[in-house]
Amino acid sequence: MVQKNIRKFAAESLDEWANVLDRESKPLPAEIVREMGRLNIWGIQAPVRFGGADLDTISYAIIIEEISRVSAAVGLGVTVHNSVCLAPLLKFGTKEQIERFAPDLASGKKIGGFTVTEPHAGSDMASIQTTAVPDGDHYILNGQKTFVTNGGIGDIFLTAASVDTGKKAGGIAIFIVEKSMKGFSVGKIEDMMGMRGNMVSELFFNSVRVPRENVLGPVDDGFRISMQTLDIGRIGIAAQALGIGIAAFGAAAAYAMERKQFDRPIGTFQAISFKLADMKTLLDASRLLIYRAADHKDRNLPFSTESAMCKLFASEAAMRVCMEALQIFGGYGYVKDLPVERFFRDAKITEIYEGTSEIMKIIIGNAILKEFSRL
Amino acid sequence: MLSIVVCIKQVPDTQNAVFDPRSGSIDRTGTDNIMNPDDLHAIETALSIKDSYGAMITAVTMGPPQAADVLNEAYALGADSCVLVSDQRFAGSDSLVTSKILSRAIDLLGAFDIVITGCDAIDGNTAHVGYQLSEFLGIPLITQIHKLEIQSDHAVIERLYGHEYQKIKVLLPLLLAVNKHTNRVRFPRLADIKTCTDKNITIMTMNDIGGTEREYGAAGSPTVVFETRLFSHKRAREVFTGSLNDKVDLLIHKLKKHNILRY
Repeated sequence: MVQKNIRKFAAESLDEWANVLDRESKPLPAEIVREMGRLNIWGIQAPVRFGGADLDTISYAIIIEEISRVSAAVGLGVTVHNSVCLAPLLKFGTKEQIERFAPDLASGKKIGGFTVTEPHAGSDMASIQTTAVPDGDHYILNGQKTFVTNGGIGDIFLTAASVDTGKKAGGIAIFIVEKSMKGFSVGKIEDMMGMRGNMVSELFFNSVRVPRENVLGPVDDGFRISMQTLDIGRIGIAAQALGIGIAAFGAAAAYAMERKQFDRPIGTFQAISFKLADMKTLLDASRLLIYRAADHKDRNLPFSTESAMCKLFASEAAMRVCMEALQIFGGYGYVKDLPVERFFRDAKITEIYEGTSEIMKIIIGNAILKEFSRL
Repeated sequence: MLSIVVCIKQVPDTQNAVFDPRSGSIDRTGTDNIMNPDDLHAIETALSIKDSYGAMITAVTMGPPQAADVLNEAYALGADSCVLVSDQRFAGSDSLVTSKILSRAIDLLGAFDIVITGCDAIDGNTAHVGYQLSEFLGIPLITQIHKLEIQSDHAVIERLYGHEYQKIKVLLPLLLAVNKHTNRVRFPRLADIKTCTDKNITIMTMNDIGGTEREYGAAGSPTVVFETRLFSHKRAREVFTGSLNDKVDLLIHKLKKHNILRY
């Protein structure tokens, strides 16, 4: 019922916006954001008492997939808000922090983000330059963040800053920063290849005074919190990639049976049907990897490797599926009249954000080395 | 507080159904079951009355045990209680007997102010039940509703009737038959979807509603379906020639002939 209703909601309420958001690079209208709040989409796994739906992670993945099938940019906003802002707040936050921030986030009254990346610190998170200097009951944050999902529309950002740059990973803390804080500002909205409906932006912290009670978890535990947060986030990004792939596959399969060349539907040529077979297999395998990671998370089993594997596989599968879909559409796939070129542009970033494919392989590789070194 | 009964039906999703070309009927094994689309509008009508005036909404369906799925959906949308009227002896009932069964089940629920049905079900397309049910219950039936207000013991309803736009006053209890033109159905909240299957569904059988076996099912039904045929819509392309005026006249003539233009 979750899937059926979200699919219907996406078709009836988001579909008409998907191209507009992409072409005009603008966010969803406020009334749709509010309606998504009423439907608990901004608090999918949050407790009901905070306005969430308290669903399991497989349902969460299904919801992200269904939304991303229609608009990957909206799917991105939803998954980042839920899995790397609200989820770590609920997991690592104090009772007071949760009571204070969760209701507005879970209901969508406030939109959240998670920000680590800086101009000179991407995959190497430990080298961030944003600093947090203690000052009485506060920390003073100075620095710059880049490629912040929901940056242009967000209200609350979990922000990684270093309390001691010499300590590298051990000096990182996570701060709950509110848009209203003095010295906080949004920089330029990125003019991106895809995901153009998400207001990905720079953020500037110019002597932002953040109260000590806004530190998420222990001060020196920010790196671990970030890593665990990204483990959760990757399931969402994998589901998003799957949604994009499913959309591209569906469009290509329908077109292959409709488009006739040499007096027969092109889908009946083995060259095309083999492509479709590969695409479908990749997507089904992605889905199973995603559900496995989600299931591990729900059963409180370790899921870091499973999460990396599903993200690695689903994002690369989505990219390949989109590439083949575009090929099946031929010239029509290359023009903006049809959404296939949008799927193609949207898919690429899933191999990059929330940890690149290369970083995923490091995580998986390290887990293998660890396992076999014990033998 | 108002008491509202909404009658809903589980139907095969005929839009995406697979038809058996030999029998002409739906292959039920390959077809999903859904809540009848007009019935979603019936629930929405009840919910909007509840939003404005406060009400207890009871959703009722007649069908096999798996019809409980649409009651779960009714819970997700906001129904307060649900009743499944289900008995092997009801199998094969036509619209008249279905209406009789529903009316007896509704009588058992106690006093009510409003009964709401969808106009038409997408499987049988008889659109009988609203009319028949109002006869069995002995209450007025109002269709083509555009606006509804409840004022103490009566409702003020604006409705489209042919060329006319009527504003009528009608005493409660009454029966409303609604369709997709009546309202836009809200989406259920995820939190309500999660809990909808945990809620209690009251089961009613023939033993509860009374009557004899002869009254129900195929035996009690005067309707006999003696043939079902598949038909397909074929598109035909026609090119009009002559002056622009002639072509327009001809187009209007054709559209009127096919009842597309009526006036």
